[in-house]
Amino acid sequence: MAENCAVVLHGPNDLRIEKLPIPTINNNEVLIKVSCVGICGSDLKIYSTGRCGQESVTEPLIIGHEGSGTVIEVGSAVKNFRVGDRVAIEPTQPCRSCEFCRGGRYNLCENPHYCATTGVSGNLCTYYKHVEDFCHKIPNNVSMEEGAAVQPLAIAIHACNRAGIKLGMNLVILGAGPIGVLCAMTAKAMGAANILITDIVESRLKTAVKLGVDYTLLIKKEYTDQQVADKILELLGTAPNITIDACGFASAQRVSMMITRTGGTILVVGIGAETVEIPLSRALLREVNIIGAYRLLNSYPAALSAVSSGAIDLKSFITHHFTMKDTKSAFELAKTGEAMKIIIHVSD
Amino acid sequence: MAQDNLTAVLHKPLDLRLEQTEIPQINDDEVLLRMDCVGICGSDVHYWQHGSCGHFVLKKPMIMGHEASGVVAKIGSKVRNLQVGDRVAIEPGVPCRYCEFCKSGRYHLCPDILFCATPPVHGNLARYYKHAADFCYKLPDHVTMEEGALLEPLSVGIHACKRGGVGAGDVVLVLGAGPIGLVTMLAAKAMGASKILITDILESRLETAKKLGAHHTIHVTKDANEADLVKLVHEKLGGHPDVSIDASGVQSTVRLALLATKSGGVAVLVGMGNPELTLPLAGAMAREVDIRGIFRYVNMLVWINEMNLVSKIIYLD
Repeated sequence: MAENCAVVLHGPNDLRIEKLPIPTINNNEVLIKVSCVGICGSDLKIYSTGRCGQESVTEPLIIGHEGSGTVIEVGSAVKNFRVGDRVAIEPTQPCRSCEFCRGGRYNLCENPHYCATTGVSGNLCTYYKHVEDFCHKIPNNVSMEEGAAVQPLAIAIHACNRAGIKLGMNLVILGAGPIGVLCAMTAKAMGAANILITDIVESRLKTAVKLGVDYTLLIKKEYTDQQVADKILELLGTAPNITIDACGFASAQRVSMMITRTGGTILVVGIGAETVEIPLSRALLREVNIIGAYRLLNSYPAALSAVSSGAIDLKSFITHHFTMKDTKSAFELAKTGEAMKIIIHVSD
Repeated sequence: MAQDNLTAVLHKPLDLRLEQTEIPQINDDEVLLRMDCVGICGSDVHYWQHGSCGHFVLKKPMIMGHEASGVVAKIGSKVRNLQVGDRVAIEPGVPCRYCEFCKSGRYHLCPDILFCATPPVHGNLARYYKHAADFCYKLPDHVTMEEGALLEPLSVGIHACKRGGVGAGDVVLVLGAGPIGLVTMLAAKAMGASKILITDILESRLETAKKLGAHHTIHVTKDANEADLVKLVHEKLGGHPDVSIDASGVQSTVRLALLATKSGGVAVLVGMGNPELTLPLAGAMAREVDIRGIFRYVNMLVWINEMNLVSKIIYLD
């Protein structure tokens, strides 16, 4: 076996490629030769600032949580995989014993061992080990890059599940970044009728149209919340059943409380600032529920299946490719906001 | 029947007059009620003091009263569920029955609902009042007329607990021990909550809450530190509440609901306060604490006829 190289974040903007020992697997684990690792908005926040939402990184950390690869060794108790299997790596290893794990909400586990969080190494490295049941077989017609990109799709699927999207519903998605766009694609696959997406960057809206949204609205700096709300309602022609905040901005959260249909749902998947000022009563008094979605939950199988069947097209979603040694350039590109999804090729 | 229909009419803020109004003529699906007891709630006081409550503004004289019970004096030709002499509780909001909300079981959100004493709809604080027969519910013999009137605010408490999904064994935090906090607590208990902690800034309200069955109380002082309060709630409850219900509407208790509730739990925000609030939303969203408001209640009072939850709560008094 070759050496294990890993991309390690030492501090803001300080990424180094280092040699590390190849991990030794336990009997319920598999050793994976990593193929592709996607990078995302939260990776970028952590790279630039050392913080993202509730997470902060205080010691050197192997980054990467959107990984796929090939199984090269299986533990003695492993039942579902053989050497050579291609797998998508669900980046968590929750405790399985707390009330959240037992209650079917392992994404809320207090010790989730989530890849690339303090004390838990990510998978942007050549060799990586993981528990068997959080690896998912990649269907034959799905590529390794798509296998990596299913991670954010699984997040979008969880968000859409939490939102309660049903056939015929109308949706507004605030933010046309990767998560917003994936939510739109997922919502369509779930039968949403009309989807309006907003963003402050025009090129993102163009991409969103290519990927299936019905209406787009470019938000200009000078618009007031009321103007944004009015424009959305005029364009969509109706109040949405569900509004998804996929950007975390307070202004989006404010608008969502103004536009969502009475009795509908606001789904917050964007990661916002700790404190916001919001007109909550506008939602409360109309029984518009405000629901958060955190990471993903039992959504990898659906993601892989949707990509395999063609219900969701990830090929168009992936826009840029880098090798591992150019990871820093990848992050610099990510900073510009021009990339929809960047894949780092570790080995091919 | 007497011709005296003495009625409490609010003409403008602080101008409440007792006047004679016409005894109403009923339609074939309505009943005429000889009114017995009418409760007064915070919204009534708000209309009286300010001439408005939330979005609703008093523009012309309006009969007050919406928490009421009465005796059936006359029934319309199509009325089957009631007879003259029946003692009834009155559900004050009659929806249109035709819109998408009415047809999906959420008639309380009907945009055309006629709700007693919400302008411009007249209330029932009069000697005689008419109402849709199917929104009047016969009281069991052991329930008094006063209790019958109180079923209306009680319904708010039950709806809040239902929106929160309160169930057997749940740990519940109630913020605010005013009338709504108390009926919420009573409902939570009847619905099987195992532990209820209620907070208030007034010690006397907490004494009442204890008499009505609160397991724990916290007297919140002016200078209380938010993080310490969260800790104290968790200590007293021996864990995080599954459901928090804010019955005060002030920013500090809404914040507490978002911070204290267990991950995956529900914060029901009943109290109405400042339209703009500064809140730690991101944390609640990242812990998947659902935030649900309520608007009045729905499909609550019809239970009376089956002598179940409501009767149980009344006995808890």
